[in-house]
Amino acid sequence: MNNWLINNFWIKIVSLILAVITWFYVNEELIKEKKMAKQLYKSSVIDQIQTRTSFTESIGQRK
Amino acid sequence: MNNYLSLSKILIEIGILWFVYYGILLFARGTRGVYILRGIILITLIFIITKQLGFERINWIFTKIFALSILAFLIIFQQEIRRGLANIGQRRWSRFFLKESEIINEVATACFLLSKRKIGALIAIGRETRLENYIESGVEIDAKVNSELIITIFMPNTPLHDGGIIIAGGKIVASGCLFPLTQNPKVLTALGTRHRAALGLSEETDAIVVIVSEETGGVSVAIGGRLTHDLDRESLERVLSNLYRTDKKN
Repeated sequence: MNNWLINNFWIKIVSLILAVITWFYVNEELIKEKKMAKQLYKSSVIDQIQTRTSFTESIGQRK
Repeated sequence: MNNYLSLSKILIEIGILWFVYYGILLFARGTRGVYILRGIILITLIFIITKQLGFERINWIFTKIFALSILAFLIIFQQEIRRGLANIGQRRWSRFFLKESEIINEVATACFLLSKRKIGALIAIGRETRLENYIESGVEIDAKVNSELIITIFMPNTPLHDGGIIIAGGKIVASGCLFPLTQNPKVLTALGTRHRAALGLSEETDAIVVIVSEETGGVSVAIGGRLTHDLDRESLERVLSNLYRTDKKN
């Protein structure tokens, strides 16, 4: 176990740093993407509601 | 429970990334691409940092360089990538079936027979670092490790006796290979080219390099830029088996 740690120690450390940086970077990007998708969904739902209400209103006026 | 599960997921993901990076860095070590890889890692880090700090213009420039560097990476590492992919299914698995004691025994026998006759020899035993660059500098052999073959290779006035042989994956993969000479100013000037080459290779890679001196017939081992002089057969076998086993456990 001790030998396993010592062998190529610096390569293991550099790999770990790179892995942690990559994980956090990708994680943040994923959170951003999800936020954006939510916003898009919300805005599309609001649009749909608005068009529906205007549609029902116009039908109501005709009646 | 949920927190524990998500934490373990994070750790597993980081572990997978670590494994991939470690593999790439080990793969690049000892090849000419290591400096280019360093450059690419540096560009990537600057790219991430500038993005985090919100330097949009600098980030834009680095985005372009980053995109180009991926293309450059594929072109520059074309050979290594091809070789690496081809070896995934071969070399790594073959290592599990090696009879390490046999290899050590054959190497030690050859070294001490050569030592008796005062015939110089240079034998590099590859471990984790790939030695492809050095293999390319010599003649590829791909033969079973055999003391008679090693002795024959180092016989003076034969085409392959100059340079060193490389043992990797339980086989003699190449002979007549050129190793880099050590640039360490502390190394004694009294040391010959063979010893300097052994030190140079052991500085740049994690290979174990065994040297038989032409002048004295002494057997030495270079590991990690350090040279151990005048070993007897027992200590050579002990050193080799310890290092080989350490490597195998990994």
